[in-house]
Formats: sequence, structure tokens, C-alpha cells
Amino acid sequence: MKALVFERSLPRYAAARVVSSLGSGRGVSVAPLRLTDLDPPTLPGPGWRRVRPRLAGICGSDLTTLDGRSSRYFEPIVSMPFVPGHEVVGDIDDDGGGRVVIEPVLGCLARGVEPPCPACAVGDTGGCERVAFGHIKAGLQTGYCADTGGGWSDGLVAHASQLHPVPDGLSDEAAVMVEPAACAVHAALAAGVTEGSNVVVLGAGTLGLCTIAALRQLALPGTLVAGAKHPAQRRLASALGADLVVDPPEVPRAVRRLTRSLAAGAQLTGGADVVLDCVGSADSIEDAMSIVRPRGRVMLVGMPGTARLDLTPLWHREISLTGAYAYGRETAGGNGRPGAPRTFELAFELVVQAGLERLVSARYPLDRFHEAVEHAGAAGRRGATKVVFDLRDQPRWRTAETAR
Amino acid sequence: MRLVRRPSFPWAAPTWPDGVELAPLERSVGVDYDTAWSRRYGVRVARAALLDWVARPVVRALASPRVDGLDRIEHLDGPAIFAANHASHVDLPLVLSILPPRFRHRTLVGAGADYFFDTRWKGALWSFAIAAIPIERQRVNRRSAEEAGHLLSQGWSMVIFPEGGRTPDGWARPFHPGSAAYLATRSGLPVVPIYLGGTRRILARGSRTLRPGSTRVCVGRPLWPHEHENARRLSTSLEAAVAALADETATDWWSARRRSAAGRTPGLGGPPVGAWRRSWALGDDRPERHRRGSNGKGSRDRWPLAHRGR
Amino acid sequence: MSPRPGFVLEVDRSTPATLIWHGEGFRLERLPVGSRVVYPPEALSPLEDPDAAIRHALLHPLGDSEPLPALLRPGMRLTIAFDDISLPLPPMRSPDVRQRVIEAVLDMAATAGVDDVVLVAALALHRRMTEDELRHIVGDRVYDAFAPHGLLTQHDAEDPDGMLHLGLTDAGEDVEINRRAATSDLVVYVNIDLVPMDGGHKSVATGLASYRSLRHHHNVRTMQHSRSFMDQHRSELHSSNWRMGRHIAASGVKVFQIETTLNNDTFPDQFRFLQRREWEWSVRDRAGFLAVSKSLERTPERLARSIFQSIRAPHAVTSVQAGEVEAVHTRAAEHLHTQQSVEVAGQTDVLTMGLPYLCPYNVNSVMNPVLVMCLGLGYLFNMYRGKPLVRPGGALIMSHPTPWAFDPVHHPSYIDFFEQVLPETTDPLEIEAKYEEAFATDPWYVHLYRTGHAYHGVHPFYMWYWGAHALQHLGAVIVVGGDRRAVRRLGFKPASGLGDALEMAEDVVGADPSITHLHAPPLLMANVS
Repeated sequence: MKALVFERSLPRYAAARVVSSLGSGRGVSVAPLRLTDLDPPTLPGPGWRRVRPRLAGICGSDLTTLDGRSSRYFEPIVSMPFVPGHEVVGDIDDDGGGRVVIEPVLGCLARGVEPPCPACAVGDTGGCERVAFGHIKAGLQTGYCADTGGGWSDGLVAHASQLHPVPDGLSDEAAVMVEPAACAVHAALAAGVTEGSNVVVLGAGTLGLCTIAALRQLALPGTLVAGAKHPAQRRLASALGADLVVDPPEVPRAVRRLTRSLAAGAQLTGGADVVLDCVGSADSIEDAMSIVRPRGRVMLVGMPGTARLDLTPLWHREISLTGAYAYGRETAGGNGRPGAPRTFELAFELVVQAGLERLVSARYPLDRFHEAVEHAGAAGRRGATKVVFDLRDQPRWRTAETAR
Repeated sequence: MRLVRRPSFPWAAPTWPDGVELAPLERSVGVDYDTAWSRRYGVRVARAALLDWVARPVVRALASPRVDGLDRIEHLDGPAIFAANHASHVDLPLVLSILPPRFRHRTLVGAGADYFFDTRWKGALWSFAIAAIPIERQRVNRRSAEEAGHLLSQGWSMVIFPEGGRTPDGWARPFHPGSAAYLATRSGLPVVPIYLGGTRRILARGSRTLRPGSTRVCVGRPLWPHEHENARRLSTSLEAAVAALADETATDWWSARRRSAAGRTPGLGGPPVGAWRRSWALGDDRPERHRRGSNGKGSRDRWPLAHRGR
Repeated sequence: MSPRPGFVLEVDRSTPATLIWHGEGFRLERLPVGSRVVYPPEALSPLEDPDAAIRHALLHPLGDSEPLPALLRPGMRLTIAFDDISLPLPPMRSPDVRQRVIEAVLDMAATAGVDDVVLVAALALHRRMTEDELRHIVGDRVYDAFAPHGLLTQHDAEDPDGMLHLGLTDAGEDVEINRRAATSDLVVYVNIDLVPMDGGHKSVATGLASYRSLRHHHNVRTMQHSRSFMDQHRSELHSSNWRMGRHIAASGVKVFQIETTLNNDTFPDQFRFLQRREWEWSVRDRAGFLAVSKSLERTPERLARSIFQSIRAPHAVTSVQAGEVEAVHTRAAEHLHTQQSVEVAGQTDVLTMGLPYLCPYNVNSVMNPVLVMCLGLGYLFNMYRGKPLVRPGGALIMSHPTPWAFDPVHHPSYIDFFEQVLPETTDPLEIEAKYEEAFATDPWYVHLYRTGHAYHGVHPFYMWYWGAHALQHLGAVIVVGGDRRAVRRLGFKPASGLGDALEMAEDVVGADPSITHLHAPPLLMANVS
């Protein structure tokens, strides 16, 4: 089976880091990622199913890895070599039918950990406490685990608990947006947006746009301000429900005027109630802290990595700085209560309501992965949002078992 | 193919829109050239240097002047009008270089507006080099006369060639009453008659080569305009005075005085005869070194000699 | 030679290229044959002894007013208000005429033994001036005598204790002016009339007023009903100010008005080609033009800006009149019209104008896009009496680099107006209804206006309203050589050159349009028949 494999190779990883300084996604030309013929992953145990990807998205965190910039934090919770790709819509192969979206988090259930950790016990897999343990290798998600395979291939294995059937009316493009939409839903619900509050979303890539849509559909912000760099992003941000869309350098002025606050230097004295940072750079976090009101909340939705920050305003203004990683079960304003809807169920609704299908802007076959990754790295500038691998035309593979 | 494009506005002068009435031409050349700048202190110093260190040595080498009669103006302190006959471009530097220092560096030159001031460049050159001020040759221009009178009253002297130009044939033309005499009567300043001899041999009108030679300069007694003096009468006496000086140069002071008293001083204008005889009477105009080995009569350069019948 | 009146040139094949302003620069451009160019009158000859003229005016007031010395007595409260840095343009060479007038007034006050004297810069909602700027206006003698004691003040329309509400006019307009002025026994207002809009009752009723009062005439309706606001008799702006001025007088505030007019001598000698007719350019003018324009091509923007901002105009005083407000203004306006009026026969399809680097609101700073709009559509478009120079539905072509640049110190609210309001709408009425209130009361802008050197939060709105009449009147506005994004944001069309702009204009006004170019500055007022 064809797959893009990410291997452990320090020199190439370092080289990718150097090359990627030319621009995000450029590191792929030297990164330890290669297209190979692999044996399909074996089913790790009962309850596991083969999935044949149809579309697999390229996520911002994938780019970070390929650019050699991912945090060392991940070292113990991933296992190499792995096949990247965690935004996957595919066919359940064994049954020969049924499209599914994979919920990539590998929680206690998938790992065969008995009894499950308290978070997994209530279905809040995003908060799993056993990510590196159990009968499969370490890996926080499908796409970072050596045992499961990933979306950038024509075959992977997934636990039944990870599978969400795709309704017939939903296109593959819409379905592949469910995973990022789920992240956004989780962030939007966890951000504690009260009715009428002023909310700012920094960044208008896939995650930023999904977050704008999620906030608009699932919360009741008073005014939703979006900072978007590129014209196409600005158009989409408006279309998805932002009240005021401005260039990133204009955000502080827009927030100041909106909240009628004063300014002391670059720091607003008042500010927005909640700022969702969908960029994840040190600069964007500092920007977020300078425009959030005292005792407001800054939520990091984009994966931040290592950042050098002045946390004085955090201390002085008693800002809550929180992260929003992934999903499980949601209730507005709180996580993990049993009986609450699964994040993915809400995400399916959001994708349909907000028409997130339109965010899929480019499809590439696997063997053109250089172009695909570079396109994803320059998505905003090139007027794109989500770049996906299209695997629907790949010849069918035969498992080792069937060959025998 | 044209290699050089004709420059257009603003590199070239603008053309006047057809629809706009032409403004009266603002003349800044000819008599309207403004020479005030050439009388500023710095310019005067530069000009004095030019005159003392360049012009005078050159004149001395070229024209070897013999100067008589400077004692006649020794008592003269204030500004004066120096009037001389005019045969050559050498005349002016010659006059300037023999003037005593108190006049030399504060002397203007009345220069023909049409010749010396017809372009800005020439105007600038001459007003710098010789402190020229533009005057009209053939008629009295009230404005330029006023300007000149004003400058005279400020202590500037002036050199004027009352003939209104260099002689075409060697004989002087009648003095123009509208120039030196007119200015003198207007300003009440004295006119100093000066006779210049021999300059035509060095550089005649129309000639292009300089021929070094010797020259004579004879300065006469200042003529003061009497009250209600008529410019025409003063001009006549000025012409007579120059003629007497010419006579004195050619012969001696006493003979010249006597002829003058008898009213028999030969006129500057030459005999009223046909053209060739006038030239003949003038004698040999060529520089002396070309005449070596000739009849050895010496300076047979003025017709009075012929009359003297020596 | 006596100064020649302004005139209208018809461009023919012999006409040399026409000078067109372009921000911090200018260029020569050939206008199509048959276009008209409106030239301003030449500078009037100045008063020989302005100080004597000032004294004479103070001693022989116009209208129903006693001579100034008769109005001064010991123990009285005297307030001297004066126009701010927005006048004249460019700032005039020292001594400023305001300095001369203020010194003459103070001389008389000293003679009369008046102790309680305060000077107020009549800023309205303009920015506060720096010390240097104030010194330039009032002169060092006055500054050093008054400023250290806090007696040289700048009007603060947002000072709750500094304003006094004098009631409503017959038309129900709030009249709220500077408390010190309102409670003085005599207000002496020292004016410079640069354009016909200035002076008259507008001096006190606008210069010393608050937002609460100003909004009654600084609004879209007033502007759209003024034809134009440069013509007092056809201007709603002025009707309202006159009502307020009379109300102020009726409330017992005695105003002794001093209005001065200046001549058209706008640029110093090294830039004199800017105010000469092209076909009369001498070698020196051409060399000057070439030297300046060639070196500007190589000059960094900021440096060019500071060079131009350092220009001091050789403006000379042409008249001084003092006394009762209306009589004074009538006389001053006559002088102004003598200097600026040009007879123009008929309207045009396309009006072109080159916008210079300066308008009243960017002295010592950048001319931002909102000010570009205000200078073109507000000021220059409205410099007419009778009918606008351009016909209804015609096109206006302006030449200006229109950089996306703002002075964050002087124009903070402009930035937000440009970034957040204009993308939503450029319709003055909608802008007024939706955003004015929020900007006018924004505490941050108020803070910067009161303590920094910032224009009031509502000021960019007034700039936009200033152009409301033009926006309503014109079929198209095209900006030549501007930053494309900024021009689009203003709601105008960008063009790369004048030729392109004229082609674009033809789409709006039809083929073979009549074209008129406004050759200003120096300023001119077109009497369009």
C-alpha cells in the first residue's frame, strides 16, 4: 500500500527546520517524509477496523512537524515511523461499505486500557490520561502512532469507537472538515463566551474560520471581530459570521473602539471578553493578551509550540490563558458530563449549517505531496484554506491476509 | 533618424498660448540690462584685479603708450567724464590703464547697447570686465541718461567715446552732442578730452590680428560746463579740444596752441576730399616693423604733417 | 505692474504643459486641446505698514462698535481668542499677522490698565498646538508674557467645567461656548480669513464651541444644503452660525471682531514657479522646477514631507478690519473676493485638480486619505459662487498620491474611521447615523484630544461631511496616481495617469467632454455663470 511515512532522522529534521524559514511548508523538500510501499497495518485487536481513506486533510500541526518545528513535548507521546493524517474521511473496508469520519484521538478504549481513565470513562477522550500506554504504541492521535497508520495513505486501522458514519447526503469534502470543525466546536464551547460579550478571533486559516463559524452557530457573542490577513480569508470570515473583519495590525484599534477602552501604550486598558488565538505564535499570544480585558480569557486554539512571552500582563490583568485541544463530549460551558452530545455530532451539524465544505480549496494525489504541502503552507497567500489529499482514485490494495 | 531629441518644456522655453494676449516684452538686454550687480563691492575688487594684473601689463606690452598731460587733471578729485576719439578696441583698456588710480577703479564705460548688451551673456561679460553701462549710440535715451547721471552723482567717473563708435577709415567722426557733452551739462561735471594716437595700427576696425606697436595718449584740460551751457556748444568745444591735443601730439604744444588760437587747428574729421585722398592723407597704417626700410620718414601718421610742409 | 486678475485659459496647441500638484510634488502635464485652465489672480500688493493699519482699524471700528480703547477699562475681564494653526496655509512667515494684532490689542489693554486678560486659541475640535506652533502664531513676546502664568490657553471643548451653555437659538440649536469667553466683559477675536468660509459669526460660534453645539451645523444635511459653504449667503452652515452668533450677542457676550486678509503670495521665492503661469516661466523658473522635481524623485517620502512642511508662505496682509462682527466680515469678504475671485463662464463635464501636500488639518503631519477627500471634495470643489465648476453628474479627477498613511498622534480617530467605517459604507448619511455618536463620545479620543495633540474623535466625520455636497453632485471621482487600495476604500476610482482618468471619466460623462483644470493653489474662488 502507498503511504507517506514520517521517520526519525535528526539531520533531515534539522534541515527541514532551516529550509522552512523560507516559508511554512517549504521544509517538506528535505523533511524525513517519503512516499513508500508499506505493508498495511495489522489490526491491533478486537474492535479494530480497516479504513480506506478517501480524503485526508493537511493540518497546521502536520505542517509544524514537517517544518521541523514541533515541540519536544510530543516526543514521548508519538511513535515513529508514523503515517501522518488525522483529518480523514474513508470507507470501512471490511464491510465493503459505509463512509466514516475518524475521530483521531486514541483514548483508553482504543488502547485497550482497562479500566479507562476518568476522562475516557465519560467519553471525554480529548482529556485522556493514558495517551502513551496500552496495547498500541504511543501516539496521541491516529496519524501520530506507528501502529495505526494515518490518513496520508490508502489504508489505516481505527477502533470502532473512533468511527462516525457519514450521512449519505454529505459530500466527502464536507466530511473531511468535520475533524477541524470539531476542534472549533470544542474551543467555541469551552471559551466561556457569554451572551453579548465581545469576542475576537485572531487568524483566519481553517481553524480560525471554523472557530468563527462555531462561535456564530453555537455561542451568542455580541460582536465577533476577526483578524484576517488575506482577502479571501476576509471574505470567508465575513461570510461565516464575523461582524468586523480587519487586517491583523488593525485588530487592536478595532477592539479598542468596539469596547470604548483607553490605551496605555500598546496595551488596551479594557478589551475584549474572550480572545481566541488561532495562530499560535508568540506574537499572536502577546497580541491577544494586549487586547483582552482584565480577567478576560485568552484561548489558544492553534497549536502554539515554544514561545517566549512576557507574562506580566497575564499576572496583572488576571487573564486566563487556556488551551483548546480536542473533543469528546460537550455541554455549553463545561466538559465531560455524561449524556452530553459528542463534539463530533455537533461538528457534523456545524459543517452542514455553516457550509464548511467550501473551505476545501485544493486536492492532490499522494505522489504530489511536495506541492500539496507547500500549497498548504502558503494557503492564505494563495487564497486557499484547506488542502487535502485525494485518495479516491488509488488502486485498491490487498491486505497481507487476503494475499495469503 | 535624429539622435538628439529637441528638448521640450520645461527643458526648453515655453511657448505662449495662442489665446493669451502677449505681454509686453520684458526687456532685460540692450539699454534695459540691469548692471547694478557689477558695481557691488566684490565684483569691483575682482574687476580691479583684472585691470591691474591683467589688462595693464598687456596694454603696456602691446601698445607701449607714451602718456602726456596727466598733470592737467592732477587737481581733479571728483568724478569726471573722459571723452576720447575712438579708433580701436585697444582704446578703452588703454584709457583705463593710464588713468590715475583714484579714477581707474571707479570708472564706468558707456558702451553701445546694441553691440555690447545685445545678449545677457555679453551684457554680463562687459559689465563685469569694464563696468560697462549700456547707452544708445545714436540718440539720447532719457532713461539711460538719467541712470548715468545718477551714477555720476554717486562718484563714478565715466569713459565715453563721443563719436558713437570706432572710426571706419581712420578719421574721426563728428562728436555726438548727446553723449559726453549732454551728460556733462546735466550733471555739471567736467569733461576731460583725451586724444589717442596709434591704436588703429594695433587693431583696426574689422581687423582680426593684434599688431603690437607704440601709441600716444594725450590728456587735456578738463572742460567745465558753464551754467546753462548748451550740450551742442560743449560738444563742439570738446571736439576742438581733442583736435588740439591731436595737433599737439603730432607737432609740439606751442605750435598747436598757436594754431588753435588762430582757429587753424586741423579738424579730427580729416580733409573734405574724396575717399582715397583721405586715406592717403592718413599715411601708412601698417605697424612700424613692417615699414622698416621704407622711406624712413618716421611717424607720418596724421595729415597735419602734410600741411606743415616740412 | 499692478497684479493681474485671475483668468481662464483655453488650452491650444501652443500652450505649454500645465503644472499639476501631486501631494509632495508636482508634474507638468499636457491637457487636451480645448480644455480650460482656471488661474488664480496674482498676489495683491500688501499694506505698506500693517502695524499702522491694525492700529487704524482698532481706532476706527466698523459697524455699531466703539473704538477698542473705549471698550477697555480697569478691572474688566478681557479674553483674546485667535485662530489656530489651520490658518493660513502654508503657515506664514514670522511675524504672523495674529502676533501683530494681538500685540496691538494688548498694548491698548495695558494702556487702559486691564489686568485680567486671557488668550484662548480657538481650536474648536482641532488638535491642541505645540509650544513651537503657539510661539509662531502669537510671537515670543506674547508667549513668554502669558504662557508661564497659564494665561495662554487652548480651547478645550471637552472640559466639563470649561464650557457654558447659553441656551437654544430660535431654531432650537444648542449654543455652548468656552466659559471664559462667555463670562468675559469683552471677547476680542483675532481672525485670518483665508477662504470665504472663515470669519464672521463662525469665529466664535464654531471656534469656541463644543461638539454639542457644533453638531447642529457640522452635519450632512447642512452640507448638502450649502451651495456652497464657501458662499456665506447660500450656506446653511453659515445661517446656523449666524443664528448662534446673534444668540451669543443677545446673551450679553460682547465680541470685538478683528478680521485680516492676506494676499495670494503663497510660496517662497525658490518655489515661485508654483504661482506663475507656465508660459511666462523664465529660465530661472524652469531651472527651479527641474531642480525641485528631479530631486524630489530621489527624496525619501518622509524627507520630502518635512521639506514641504517647513515651507513658510510670504503671505502679506492686504486688509485689517475691526469692530462689530457682521460689518467686519462683510468688508473682509470683499477683500478676499478681490484677491481670489475668477469669472468662469459655464460649468464643465470634467473638473481636474492637483491636490497639494497640505490642507488645514495636516500642518506638520501627513495628509491621510480622509483629508485627501476633504481637500478635494470639501475645500477645492466648494470654492465656487453661483454653480459648481463641474456640472451635476460630472466627473472630478484629483491628482494625489493618497498614501495609506496616518499620523497616529494627530489623527487617531481617522485611522479607525478609515479602517472600520469606510469599508462598511461611504454614504455620509449612513455614516452619520451609524457611527458619529460612538466616535464623538469615545473616551479614548476625548482623552487624546484633551491631553495630546489629537483631533477630536468626530473630526474625520466632519471631513467626510465636508465632501457630502460634492458626493451628491458628482457622477464619478477619480484619483490619479494614488494608492489603489486607499483610493478604493474612499469609494473612488484609481487611475494611473491623467490620460487614463480622462478615458474613465468619459464613461460617466459621455464622449468628448469639456474639461476644466483648477490651477490651485494659490487659492481661487470661481464665480461660475
